Amino acid sequence: MKRPGPLLTLLAGLVLGLFMLTLNVTSGTKTASSSYSEASPAASPSPKKSAPASPTPTVTPSPTPSKSAVPNASYAGRTDDDTASVAVTIRDGKAVAYFCDGRYKEAWLRGPVADDGTMKLTAPNGAVLDGKLQQGTKIRGTVKDEGRKYAFTADKAVKPSGLWRATAKVRGAKIDGGWIVLPNGRQTGIVTRDGKAAAAPRIDPETGAVTVDGQQLTAQPVTP
Amino acid sequence: MTADPNAATQAFPPPPHRRDSPARYLVPALVAAAVAVGLGVYGKVHDPTGTAFNLAGFSSTGAVKSWLATTAFFFALVQVVSAFMVYGKLPGPSWSATLHRWSGRIAFLVAVPVAVHCLYAFGYQTYSTRVMWHSALGCLFFGAFSAKMLLLRSERLPGWLLPLVGGLVFTGLTLLWLTSALWFFRTFGVST
Repeated sequence: MKRPGPLLTLLAGLVLGLFMLTLNVTSGTKTASSSYSEASPAASPSPKKSAPASPTPTVTPSPTPSKSAVPNASYAGRTDDDTASVAVTIRDGKAVAYFCDGRYKEAWLRGPVADDGTMKLTAPNGAVLDGKLQQGTKIRGTVKDEGRKYAFTADKAVKPSGLWRATAKVRGAKIDGGWIVLPNGRQTGIVTRDGKAAAAPRIDPETGAVTVDGQQLTAQPVTP
Repeated sequence: MTADPNAATQAFPPPPHRRDSPARYLVPALVAAAVAVGLGVYGKVHDPTGTAFNLAGFSSTGAVKSWLATTAFFFALVQVVSAFMVYGKLPGPSWSATLHRWSGRIAFLVAVPVAVHCLYAFGYQTYSTRVMWHSALGCLFFGAFSAKMLLLRSERLPGWLLPLVGGLVFTGLTLLWLTSALWFFRTFGVST
């Protein structure tokens, strides 16, 4: 008789894997999200000077309608429920996006952009952005983060609006900051200190200069 | 006492015509390829959901996975040592073969939930070098492990084959751990 042990091991692994998979599928997205979702709608925008709730449409220079390749550009906007900002930068058919509520919720998403302007970007924390470029002037789509879905519209953004990031070490702590500057000057940013997220101080949108914990940093525009 | 795991049992010699049947190598190789490709295709095709199980007492699924992976890696180290014992390259107790079997089983079964979470929540990704290697190696690891398990069922294998495949499995798991759990601990700190 052949040794049954190894086969049983494989079968046990298979059964365990399928069991966990069905557990995941049936429990769905409720597990992780429920505790978080209560807090977010009451979003009080952290220290910001600019007038909120009026996303001035950008002056869109030459909406390139070429179907074959997606033009390089940046897009920035708010979610429909006005709790978070979304920015997308496209370079050579690749996109990087940042989803950020300015308080503790953020996700960096990456992925390819199809020739028809659709994109599906994913983040290491599991967030997913589904978007479609509309006539090269804006992106409509949704971000799914921690079990919640946020519809958003991001208009074309020209510098200094768009997506900024700064990483540094300040007194031994790893600092990772991300900012979305909307065309109307409104900023949404989060600084993560050793994995702990908090509202970010304002950056100077002209230079990217920002002071985090007393340290002068320079944020850079983000490219995929 | 050490036992050669490849030794044919006296009581039941394999029929001579099967000794060189290519199926002994072909079946494990094909199954390994099917497992690796299957996992990769599933990870690529299905929509990453982002959420999955979490265990009480851990701050995030990343922490859970990192500790599970570290557990698997620890047992993988036990695997290497006990394999040397089984082959008589290191002095070992009489139960080193049992130790090898069970540490391997535990390592594998601990790694399965991690892989399920990876595939279910993240999918096959290539957006950075670390992630690309982790995705590819993850698929290859389970393929190589399946091959190792199936090869164990054959008798009279060439002496170098099991150590080679076992070494591949260990190398794969080590690289997987380096590209995930170690990265997690270095990025977010050693937390639970």
